[in-house]
Amino acid sequence: MQATIDNLKHTFPEKLNTYHIQHTNELYLEIDPINIQEFCIHLQKDLEGTLVSLFANDERQLNGNFALYYVWAIRRSGFFVVLKTQLKPDNPVFQSITTPIYAANLYEREIKDLFGLIPEGHPDPRDLCFHGNWPQDLYPLRKDFDTFNQPTHTKTIDDFQRVAGEGVYEIPVGPVHAGIIEPGHFRFSVAGEPIINLEARLHYVHKGIEKLAEGLSIDKCLYLSERISGDETFANSLAYCHAIEKIAGIELSPRAAYTRLVFAELERLTSHLGDLAGICVDVAYGFAAYQFRMLRGWCYILVEELAHSRFLRNINTPGGVRQNFLHNKEKQIIDAIARIKKELNETVKILKTNALFIDRIENTGILTINAARDLNTVGPPGRASGLHFDLRKNFPYSNYNLLDFQIPKHLNGDVNCRINVKIEECYISMEIILKTLELMPQGETIRRIGNLDPYQSALGYSEAPRGENIHWVMTGENNTIYRYKIRTPSFCNWPALCWAVNGNIVPDFPLINKSFNLSYAGNDL
Amino acid sequence: MLETTSKLKGDVMFNSFKKILQYRRLTLKYPMKPLDTTFVYGKPEINTSTCNLCRECMDHCPSKAIAINSQNNMIGINIDECIFCYHCADICPVSAITITSNFELAVQKRSDLRFSPLETEKQLEEIAKAIETRSRRIFGRSLQIREVDAGSCNGCDYEINGLNNPFNDLERFGIHFVSSPRHADMLLVTGPVTRNMENALLRTYEATPDPKLVVAVGACAISGGIFKDSYAVRNGVDTLLPVDVYVPGCPPRPQAILYGILKALDRV
Repeated sequence: MQATIDNLKHTFPEKLNTYHIQHTNELYLEIDPINIQEFCIHLQKDLEGTLVSLFANDERQLNGNFALYYVWAIRRSGFFVVLKTQLKPDNPVFQSITTPIYAANLYEREIKDLFGLIPEGHPDPRDLCFHGNWPQDLYPLRKDFDTFNQPTHTKTIDDFQRVAGEGVYEIPVGPVHAGIIEPGHFRFSVAGEPIINLEARLHYVHKGIEKLAEGLSIDKCLYLSERISGDETFANSLAYCHAIEKIAGIELSPRAAYTRLVFAELERLTSHLGDLAGICVDVAYGFAAYQFRMLRGWCYILVEELAHSRFLRNINTPGGVRQNFLHNKEKQIIDAIARIKKELNETVKILKTNALFIDRIENTGILTINAARDLNTVGPPGRASGLHFDLRKNFPYSNYNLLDFQIPKHLNGDVNCRINVKIEECYISMEIILKTLELMPQGETIRRIGNLDPYQSALGYSEAPRGENIHWVMTGENNTIYRYKIRTPSFCNWPALCWAVNGNIVPDFPLINKSFNLSYAGNDL
Repeated sequence: MLETTSKLKGDVMFNSFKKILQYRRLTLKYPMKPLDTTFVYGKPEINTSTCNLCRECMDHCPSKAIAINSQNNMIGINIDECIFCYHCADICPVSAITITSNFELAVQKRSDLRFSPLETEKQLEEIAKAIETRSRRIFGRSLQIREVDAGSCNGCDYEINGLNNPFNDLERFGIHFVSSPRHADMLLVTGPVTRNMENALLRTYEATPDPKLVVAVGACAISGGIFKDSYAVRNGVDTLLPVDVYVPGCPPRPQAILYGILKALDRV
């Protein structure tokens, strides 16, 4: 980290106002708004940084200004660089960085809609969160906006990107889909069979979670974080608790850390088995789909026996876990894992020798490594395209650093690779669980966090089944939340999905979509 | 080359059949036989004899589901708002809250879920036409369901998906999910109805032919749950549509949803 500080000091001798290090791996730099682009380009090009979050915060009550935070992860060295800049409320305009750094695109549009800060020079400044049905001069995440205010609908604007030309036609799909899935609108521009352009209009399930969190007490906000995205309940509550524990400055008890690890891996296993079932459904391979659904069902049964909740709710709490959930349950877990592993082995063997199935998935929906890198694709889709990183390895939390495990790496970036990554991760998760049970000591499972100082912030993170999950929490007075920024892996991966379907035929879209398996709720918040 | 391919195909077929025969029956006998509820956490209940009305649980309830009737000093939980986090059971200083294993909570009237009366009497509830028993009986033989996610966290949707897995196998009741509302007899709605989904939900409802049933699944769909009173959501489906059955839970387990669907058909 010191090398980075020296590098920045050397490169920008007069532009770096102040800096401080917080919670050992977060480097905060304060810069002027005019220098944002320069710093960001330097961080990306020369310091191998990746933009992992970008958000605004209404700090007018604290210092009279709006603040923008650019969170960069230096994955190779395992720390974050957070650029902070302040904007005057009378001129809420900032320089857009989307043209050089494409990953910033959606963040800047989100800031424009929710805070009314204008990204100057943004190539695509359309409405993101409200589809045009929201009044122009109201910004819900500003502190002077009342949470309960529900302005009347103005007309929804239909401003999709148009592709014109002979024989080009559009297929609109959604928001209510044919299957039992979440709502979103897809606009395909198609010539013959191949897709030329896909635009996903999301935010149909925008519930204002970030606004609801503000002013909530620390323990109430936990339950909100559990309900960001149902099948990533544990990863989200883990990231939230991680942030709170960093602010409180407490170390987890070893038993609590290992317990979390077991549940996090069980969630990954459950989620991946569900994805595999979904992929088999989408290629009409009923037999395999029912096999995977059965396996997923076994996971649910195990999880419910351990924690009385099929979705791993009510387990985490800031400071540890609510009970000693795994007390005397070791044998039960080992038996269940053995059973799942055997069945998975046999099913995968059948799946992999089915030439018809392989024919559908190979070279379908290729996401190249360059596109994956530019869009900051995370999680299994990233690893299937050759981006070899994982928060569990690069930014170890919750005792992951004490375990030896591999992360899969594939290069082709097609549906086949994504399936392989998921299958391998299932095995790795099971191995991690078994190793954890060997290592887990007895002891307390919860440490009280006490009162938190106001206006302290921290980044909490976890590797969700879908990938890197980053939450930023700032405390307010009386143990409340001042600002809770949630960035789930789905937010990064939606643009990657839209990119990957280009050139594929329309009937392959459900298959490619399922191989990414993104959460709408986690994206829309 | 050809030989190996055909051998492989033979292996795939043989192994698949072997697997299919390996597990005789996974499907649970519910609701013909009761579910094993050893590990099930269901409805929380307040034991009024030990409760000393300290209001600790009221202040800490994340969805403000606990209410006190000041006239007779009674405390109770509004199950339509409860998100089943059991935080109240954790913090109660006199351990007056017990977690029962009762998950069959679906009801036809929302007031049956409530301890305190609804502040704003829902007009739609009154004008909701009770579908004649005859139509229910006709639906009871074969029911087509269209699921609509109106802003859930996707927990409820996964549990509804779970109805199709080998453990629950909804089709054994003659009930199945269809792709279009035009083919549907019942809308299964999850989520608090977000601002951006309002229109889509209304249009789905209008596209569903009469007579039709609406089932609200999960705390959000009933009352808004933890997302209640946000700028971007309506507080539940019945602010917009007449609802026939409410299924509490966060998320309700597949069997609880199944119970709700059968309840709407008067089959339980």
